[in-house]
Amino acid sequence: MGVQLSVFLENKPGKLETITKILAEAGINIRGISMASEGEFGVLKMLVNDPGKAHQVLKAHHFTVSERNVVVAIIADRPGALHNLLLTLSSQKINIEDCYGIVLEEGGQAAIVLDTEQFPEAEKVLQDNQIWLLSDGELYSL
Amino acid sequence: MYWEKEIETMGRSDLASLQLDRLNHSLEQARRSPFYGKRFAYKAPSHLAGLGDLTTLPFTTKDDLRNAFPYGFLTVDLKEVVRLHSSSGTTGNPTVVFHTAGDIGQWGNLIARCMYTTGVRKHDVFQNMMGYGLFTGGLGFHYGAEKLGVMTIPIGPGNSKRQIWFLQNLETTVVHILPSYALRLYKFFEELAIDPREDLALRIAFVGAEPHSEEIRKKIEDLYNIKVYNSYGLSEMCGPGVAFECECQEGLHIWEDHFYPEIVDPASEEVLPEGEPGELVLTTLTREAMPLVRYRTRDLTRFLPGNCPCGRTHRRIDRITGRSDDMLIINGVNIFPIQIEKTLMAIPEIGHNYLIEIRKENFMDRLQVHVEINEEVFHGTLAELEKLQENAVAALRAELGVTPSVKLVEPSSLPVSEGKAQRVYDYRNEAEAEG
Repeated sequence: MGVQLSVFLENKPGKLETITKILAEAGINIRGISMASEGEFGVLKMLVNDPGKAHQVLKAHHFTVSERNVVVAIIADRPGALHNLLLTLSSQKINIEDCYGIVLEEGGQAAIVLDTEQFPEAEKVLQDNQIWLLSDGELYSL
Repeated sequence: MYWEKEIETMGRSDLASLQLDRLNHSLEQARRSPFYGKRFAYKAPSHLAGLGDLTTLPFTTKDDLRNAFPYGFLTVDLKEVVRLHSSSGTTGNPTVVFHTAGDIGQWGNLIARCMYTTGVRKHDVFQNMMGYGLFTGGLGFHYGAEKLGVMTIPIGPGNSKRQIWFLQNLETTVVHILPSYALRLYKFFEELAIDPREDLALRIAFVGAEPHSEEIRKKIEDLYNIKVYNSYGLSEMCGPGVAFECECQEGLHIWEDHFYPEIVDPASEEVLPEGEPGELVLTTLTREAMPLVRYRTRDLTRFLPGNCPCGRTHRRIDRITGRSDDMLIINGVNIFPIQIEKTLMAIPEIGHNYLIEIRKENFMDRLQVHVEINEEVFHGTLAELEKLQENAVAALRAELGVTPSVKLVEPSSLPVSEGKAQRVYDYRNEAEAEG
């Protein structure tokens, strides 16, 4: 598992830049990023190398931040791999709130971040199916 | 051209005697209510020697009405009461106004007088596009029109295509309509390729319930090729029928045989010299179930100087220029910002700061509420925010009776609530200038 930071954002020009600037100045490395938007507002989702510190600096700048546990699964970087992963989850009736991927340079692999309300169940299903899930340490040092 | 010539053109000194007689009678009647019975137990003289003595009596406010809910102002036994009307809003006690059969009769007669003044006659066809129900606009005119003997179509507001169908097929000659709706309805005529100037029998519109400028009146007159008359009233007095424009369309005659008007400085509460702008204060002279003494309307206006060429002696007030409190009128619905605040603060996911914006869009008032989300309860999903937005809209709609849009904003992006933060931004006048 990993900790994802969710940040509430108004959909205005320059908002995202403000966040990347704060994180850059704090020396925080962004591992994965995704944006869910409704039009006027959205939720920015990030995996970073130091979620605790990132949370703290963003909060200090009055951003609304929440930490969520997410499952990060490693799959092969080839056709059908993501499909198989999702099939595993849906067969167990696990609903995905949001999902985004990071292609890893080495080894032809991809890391898939799965954001779900049924977090512990998702983790267990994937473990039972011998899917490689990244631990905290592995994730932050990707 | 007069409905009641003797009263409408009565000499000022005769009118003053009539007012004093009725005022003393009304004060006696008022004392029968628990509220005035207590208030006037020791203070008020049993009989006023002149109208000027009225200023020695304290004002009555909307808060007094709320605190005395429901029957504190009632002077008669419930078995004498035939009707209740109420102001909009569910925060705290609503203001309720009771009517005896006599009150309903007087009110109908006043509306008949207003309509007759503008040239409405028995052979007219009257389409009443105001809301029927607790709101006084619909039923008030309905009874007045029937008293006058005009065929009345109680269609109520909305459903524009049906309105136009009736206007055309029943050859409606007179309507009662919100000014903003008159402008909006015109768009539907364009869509249907009907020219209201040519294709309708319409000749008169009564507009009221929301403040509007002289420019808006002229615009409606021009779009429909009709005469538009301004109507003023408030449910606490009866409803519409308190003051009305005559054929001269220069100010509204306030019917002084039924209401005694004063203009006061809202801050010092002193009566202002004739002609100076201030807050309208009204005392009912003929109401039976619920007489009110020196009621603070919060509406800002002034007496117009001089005599009206129509020959009526009842003084004229200028069109209402605003409010001395923070009440907002959104598409004819009265709203206090405190209602919005209380509703928002009852939602845990919403923070403490909010901001209210009102704009004109396609001649409709648009209410937008900006709210900060409460970061303590943010779980990091878009779905929860969308749900929060929906919940806030639903809660505000239930409270206000109008549907706002709700915009979620980041914490600390709005002015803080300490002190006198300005929370209401009304941009409607700017838009009106463009429209």
